[in-house]
Amino acid sequence: MARYLRLLLLAVLVLAASCESAVFSPVSESHRSAALELFSLADGSYGRTALVQYSIACLLCIFPDTDHYSTLLAKTIPLNICGLTLLAISLCCTISSLEETYEALKTFKVLGIEKKHDITTSSCASVAHTLKSTSSASKDYFQALRVNSILKCDLNSEAFRGTESKLKGSLNGANSLIDFYYSIGGLVLLKEQTPEVDVHLGDADRIFRSIKALGQSDGRWRLNSNNPESSNNAAGIALEALAGVISLATPQIDNSLITTLKNDLLKLFDGIERYDDGTYYFDEKHVGALGHQSPISASASVVRGITAVAAVTSENLNLPGDKILGLAKFFLGVGIPGSAQDLYHQIDALSCLENIRQVESTPLILSLPATVISVTKKDQLKVRVSTVLGSPARTLSVRLMQIFVSGSKDASVIDQKLKFNAVSGMHVLETLPKNIDVGSYVFSFEIIFDNPEHKKAYVTGGRTRVLVDITGVIKIGNAEIVILDGDHGSIETQKKLTLPGGNDVALSANHLQKLRLSFDLTTPSGNAFNPHQAFLKLRHESEVDHIFLDFLGLVEKFFYLSGRYDIQLTVGDSDMENSFLQPLGYVELDLPDAPEKAARPPPQPVDPYSRYGPKPEIAHIFRDPEKRPAKELSLVFLGLVLIPFFGFLAGLVQLRANLKNFPKATVPSTFALLFHLGIAAVLALYALFWLKDQSQLCLTHFPCTCILLLTFLFGPIYHTEGTRLIGNVLDVCWAQDTISSCIHFVQVKIYVKGPILILRVSGTGSCLKRAQFAIWFYRVRV
Amino acid sequence: MAAPKFAFLLLNLISILPLLVSSFSVDRPTDRRILVLLDDLSLKSSHSLFFSSLKSRGFDLDFKLADDPAIAVKRYGQYMYDGLILLSPSTERFGGSLDVEGVLDFVDSGHDLIVAADANASDLIRNIAAECGVDFDEDPSAVVVDHSSYAVSETEGDHTLIAADDFIQSDVILGNKKIEAPVLFKGIGHSLNPANSMVLKALSASPSSYSTNPSSKLSSQPPSLYGTAISLVSVVQARNAARIMISGSLDMFSNRLFRAGVQKSGSLNKYEKSGNEQFITELSKWIFHERGHLKAVNLRHNKVGESEEPSMYRINDDLEFSVEIFEWSGSSWVPHVSKDVQVQFYMMSPYVLKTLSTNGKGLYHTSFKVPDVYGVFQFKVEYQKLGYTSLSLSKQIPVRPFKHNEYERFITTAFPYYGASFSMGNYVDVSTKYMIELQMAGFFIFSGVYLYNK
Repeated sequence: MARYLRLLLLAVLVLAASCESAVFSPVSESHRSAALELFSLADGSYGRTALVQYSIACLLCIFPDTDHYSTLLAKTIPLNICGLTLLAISLCCTISSLEETYEALKTFKVLGIEKKHDITTSSCASVAHTLKSTSSASKDYFQALRVNSILKCDLNSEAFRGTESKLKGSLNGANSLIDFYYSIGGLVLLKEQTPEVDVHLGDADRIFRSIKALGQSDGRWRLNSNNPESSNNAAGIALEALAGVISLATPQIDNSLITTLKNDLLKLFDGIERYDDGTYYFDEKHVGALGHQSPISASASVVRGITAVAAVTSENLNLPGDKILGLAKFFLGVGIPGSAQDLYHQIDALSCLENIRQVESTPLILSLPATVISVTKKDQLKVRVSTVLGSPARTLSVRLMQIFVSGSKDASVIDQKLKFNAVSGMHVLETLPKNIDVGSYVFSFEIIFDNPEHKKAYVTGGRTRVLVDITGVIKIGNAEIVILDGDHGSIETQKKLTLPGGNDVALSANHLQKLRLSFDLTTPSGNAFNPHQAFLKLRHESEVDHIFLDFLGLVEKFFYLSGRYDIQLTVGDSDMENSFLQPLGYVELDLPDAPEKAARPPPQPVDPYSRYGPKPEIAHIFRDPEKRPAKELSLVFLGLVLIPFFGFLAGLVQLRANLKNFPKATVPSTFALLFHLGIAAVLALYALFWLKDQSQLCLTHFPCTCILLLTFLFGPIYHTEGTRLIGNVLDVCWAQDTISSCIHFVQVKIYVKGPILILRVSGTGSCLKRAQFAIWFYRVRV
Repeated sequence: MAAPKFAFLLLNLISILPLLVSSFSVDRPTDRRILVLLDDLSLKSSHSLFFSSLKSRGFDLDFKLADDPAIAVKRYGQYMYDGLILLSPSTERFGGSLDVEGVLDFVDSGHDLIVAADANASDLIRNIAAECGVDFDEDPSAVVVDHSSYAVSETEGDHTLIAADDFIQSDVILGNKKIEAPVLFKGIGHSLNPANSMVLKALSASPSSYSTNPSSKLSSQPPSLYGTAISLVSVVQARNAARIMISGSLDMFSNRLFRAGVQKSGSLNKYEKSGNEQFITELSKWIFHERGHLKAVNLRHNKVGESEEPSMYRINDDLEFSVEIFEWSGSSWVPHVSKDVQVQFYMMSPYVLKTLSTNGKGLYHTSFKVPDVYGVFQFKVEYQKLGYTSLSLSKQIPVRPFKHNEYERFITTAFPYYGASFSMGNYVDVSTKYMIELQMAGFFIFSGVYLYNK
């Protein structure tokens, strides 16, 4: 656990560049609000944990042997178990919450917080219950009496008397340090709380020696004789117990025993750990019966022990003052702990340190409310000296001894007394020394007591070094921006700038020229000031940044990006109150083309907002419908193609065509009629193909179509020998649905040449051809 | 006899515990069990507000020292935690079997991570951050300094306590409530790897900030990190919805900065309390999936006027598309309301990309015409919104062309052809160059007249 304070140390390191000059503030208002927050009220007492956890813990106490559980599984549970469980829960809660109640009450008392919640009734009830109970352990009595020591409950002496006998009984049977601690602690509390019960220890020497037997040679203690590991926490407990024995001993305890105790104490202090910032603490490596103890609780335990011992002995313990102060700084350096227990340990230990009876050991804390002092605002350096809990110390004065420039060893010796302001309780340095300009300094203070007697009552730790930042408004003058001709250094363009203020210069330059920006910085006392941050930034339109600290020779590293660059100037320092970041205008750069091997601009991070936005919508662009001639035009052409037909009809009428030669005899006329009906059927089929849905037609009329076609084809051939007959069947489609929707028979040509019948089928793979076919025909005709 | 009964009750209690601590699931995306690795157990106390805020939201925190040899995030191939918080900036090696690879595997399997560094950041922490696309300043002594937007303090004069208020503009990451007070930051800066598109700046530094060692003079070289390129806190959402938060400051989680008042330099606004608590709490809600988790259900499509989902569309069909999107609120799924959910009708590239309209109750719908291109298409919803888990849905659907009999049948333009065919016209078949006589009606009449004329 040596790393416990690494965080604290780190915070301190960052807080002040020099470890030596760390500032610790006494307990403040924020501790009070934290206390109220952390010790929140739960069911009438101060509890941190939930009821269920108590009951589990309690049940585990009752059945420590876990092997039992499996055998117990099969047993049934009668209903009355609930009552027993509740009793167990309430008992457990009482024990746990009494300890927490005490921690809360004690913290509140030290911090001076008036109890916000009236818990007296409920807590006193549980105190009375615990004290009357015969089954309570010495720990329970101890906790109950501790709570009672603050609440001062109205308890009858009967209860106290019973408690005394029980505590004495357990003291006699005690063999571990914890048993001694609770029993003796309980008796001491009993003695304080009731004069009626006469508490004294007859065999104080024996008890003293048996506790002492658990001690180790290095000043630490073991929790019991079986446990070889010793701890600081146990040492604190032992010291408290021993102090209790001393105060309870009726014949005064042997003085030699007290002397050995004193030696143990000093040995204990030899084992104290130290940090660079001057804090001391007791580390805890031992993880024992009390669980993992943090350095806060271990240190607090030791502090409580020392205070208890100091309170009961008249001897001077010769405690090392710097270590006491270091311990106080340690507790203050923790800041505001986040857990209730740590806060209790911190506050309780600090109150012990403040009230330690050995007068030479009360630590005083020198703190500065403000370490950033503005010379422009004429801030005054104020120093507060108080005890750890924030109460003012007796008459004293503070002297400023030395001032170091931060980071160097050079010191200017001042030795100036700070003026005490009685209203604010602060020691004030009204004017800063003449040679102090803006910057970081380490001020060294010393506390001087007006009355030399008081010097013995307090530990001040000698000189206190504090890092102080002196800030001020820096004057900026002679600001100008110049374009220089590279060859001759002659000035080409020169623009004055107002800094800080609005500027909007427009410059242009090429790669052979130089840009010079210059300005003077002077501190309030007229010295030149060198800021920590002086950046000139040129930002290309494409958001590629270039940053320059050196104002001369800035022609390179532009990645050969010509164009407009915005100029931005940043000047800042931690001691400069008017640090600024300003756009100055722009410069138009004309740079040569990039050679092939030139570095490319680095990739710029993606803007998250544009990456996640909705994408632009996409609508499909549909194919334009085919261009068709006007309907009227088609109809006109339809009329035109019908003219020959009507002309033919008219010609027939003109020629007086007739059918008088139609055979009259039955058989020939029947065959002639059948022949012509066959032709009509084929023609009607054509018409049907066109008018009706083709697929249906093809499928349903396929056989019929075949017969008709055969009749049509072979009939005429048989009868009209030597004549050519052309059958042109359009859109023959019966195969389409059975084979593929995309194979399309366009034409079936059947013609006869002499005795040979030729069947020619042509087709295409695209269904769309058909519409084109019609149009194409039309074009040919036109 | 009472003893067995007590024990039985205890067993009951123990058996109920696992049920209370339900683990991560698809239906409840919020994390439950979190492993917290600390440099030092005192952080439990000094950062207790952060931890108690997590505990009060129902997380089960398991605190361990970072070098505890018993650290294990995985047992029998199963992860024991849903989230990992590394508040151990100076740890050089984790105890147990955990290492950089282990942490990255943890994230790769969809778990969440919070990493806090500070000026003592070890190579281990830097490597983890670098793997997440975050590069901390390589100079180990550098911290972020800002002379124009520092937190005014009477005791800290080196301007390393930054009052940052350049937050990421996202309600889902930082909550609906605007963070009024600036966030106090004290630590190291980092830059984002431009090659990583997943990492985002949650809290950026101001243009006047730079990363340097405040106690030494700047060299003539410009600092490696300066201006708004410095990110103070970054977040990553991986493709598997794992979320990572990387902060350059451990202090910003601490009770001290949670409680501290803040006044930004140059501003007259004084805030009683810094924005840290709100910022960290809201960000941790996002990191542990209490927010910003989306799910899409009921992806549907049909032809306009029908309700059944077809197995195939024909080109030029009008269709309706709908999907329901819900958002996890930490306790239940509520409708996600947004105006930028888009659907794509996709084959190799999107043919249609349309923004869906919503009814405000989670249903998003639109309708469009199927393009006149046939093939195998997909309905794709690729919804990526800042801070939300991404949705990627797709459903395949073929589109066929017209059947031969679905074309227009009586084309006026072709009437002259038909007229010719049925009457007496002729036409030339270009493919054969034969003059074909079409003489249906004429042929019929002529054949009669020719044969039987007297």
